[in-house]
Amino acid sequence: MMPIWTKSGEKHAVTLLKVQDCHVLRYVSKEESGGKTAKLLVGGKNVSPFSKPESAHEIFREAGVPRKQKVTTFNVTDDAIIKPGTPLYAAHFRPGQFVDVTAKTIGKGFQGVMKRWGFKGQPASHGQTKTHRRPGAISTNQAAKVYRGKKMPGKMGNIYRTSFGLKVWRINTKHDIIYVNGSVPGHTNCLVKVRDSKLPTYKDCNKNPPFPTFFADGDEELPEDLFDEEIFQFTDPSVTFA
Amino acid sequence: RVSSDGKPPKFQPPPKPVIIDRKTQKEESRFLSPEFIPPRGRKDPLKYYIERKDMIQRRKVFNIPEFYVGHILAVTTANPLASDKCSRFVGICIQRGGTGLGATFVLRNVIEDQGVEICYELYSPRIQAIEVLKLEKRLDENLMYLRDALPEYSTVDVNMKPVPRMDHEEIPVNKVQVRMKPKPWSKRWERPKYNIKGIKFELPEHKMQAAQKWSQPWLEFDMLREYDTSKIEEKIRKELREELGK
Repeated sequence: MMPIWTKSGEKHAVTLLKVQDCHVLRYVSKEESGGKTAKLLVGGKNVSPFSKPESAHEIFREAGVPRKQKVTTFNVTDDAIIKPGTPLYAAHFRPGQFVDVTAKTIGKGFQGVMKRWGFKGQPASHGQTKTHRRPGAISTNQAAKVYRGKKMPGKMGNIYRTSFGLKVWRINTKHDIIYVNGSVPGHTNCLVKVRDSKLPTYKDCNKNPPFPTFFADGDEELPEDLFDEEIFQFTDPSVTFA
Repeated sequence: RVSSDGKPPKFQPPPKPVIIDRKTQKEESRFLSPEFIPPRGRKDPLKYYIERKDMIQRRKVFNIPEFYVGHILAVTTANPLASDKCSRFVGICIQRGGTGLGATFVLRNVIEDQGVEICYELYSPRIQAIEVLKLEKRLDENLMYLRDALPEYSTVDVNMKPVPRMDHEEIPVNKVQVRMKPKPWSKRWERPKYNIKGIKFELPEHKMQAAQKWSQPWLEFDMLREYDTSKIEEKIRKELREELGK
């Protein structure tokens, strides 16, 4: 994570996400998948092919791509279908866009009720016998049962969570890095899924995105760094208030 | 020597001495701002490389002078609420923290009997100028104990003129022993964990010895805590010299 300053001098914290060897693996049509839209299987981050059996390598062999660590699905409209085997780059996103980021949260293991659900526990003194971090009562008398989903101690973390509506501040096309506002679930160097935001406030914010994706062998020549309009670039002199 | 013609041998002047100014060369390359050195961790070095590119870019446009803890600095920042739109603060640097773009330094001064500390970010675009008024190192790297010292040690004249300094001279170390206010202090500075050499402890002997109970003499031999930065530093120095020397 890194600080970033706007032209008015405000500081924002930014997470760096690297797009590492992402390729489209397979196209699954609407009828085949049984959902509402077609799906595209995308894989990221190359990994050695020797730790899995040959049967697992079929998808990668069809696409002509080395074995990937993670394969995810993206629901995609029919006009945005991409041929399997195309590489995906960070330039697929543009600064000023809003994005949802999904990842597995940091695993905390078996945790008690105070850390896992934020219960207040009991006082440390004034006669409390062996009860300082316990949940207390778990149900009422009339219910005569414990409801399903009651908050109790258990394994915490290591589940998929999404942060919605994160702004993309800057894109580095040379190293394929996306600068995303705020924090993102997961530990450092963990695999993360980045999608266009589904929030209704940001529905129309994406003007002229590269559609269906940014092709590296196309005619467009992008500069090494793409900045949002409001970012203070370090090539400018210091900020002054008029 | 037997000459060829019988005449005395031709006078050979001694070779000219080659003066290698080692001092100047050493001074330039020996200082590396501490925020360039990446901390020990599992982050990708690519992140630090990209951050350094941004830092170098900022340094090309805005001059960040070399300074240590104990120097007296004057910082002018852009302030939308001031009448001039800029505010100037003079103080002693008591602490330098953070790595990369978020590097900070804390300046302390006593203004009208009120101690004031301001934490500035080195790479913030609101800073208009940083001037070093007086160069002097202190015995410690963290002068937070000035909060519990007598206010005369933290007062710096706001209209102080910059003290002229010869280039290529070593930065003088001020070995002043600071006198403290009566206890309680904000931190127990006599404990060996802080390793402070710049305080004149006027505590009784038994209290100083009781404080040594918290010493951890095994820490300096702990191999897992070793972090050898010499190779990383050389690489970063080379990078800086190439980029900023242009």
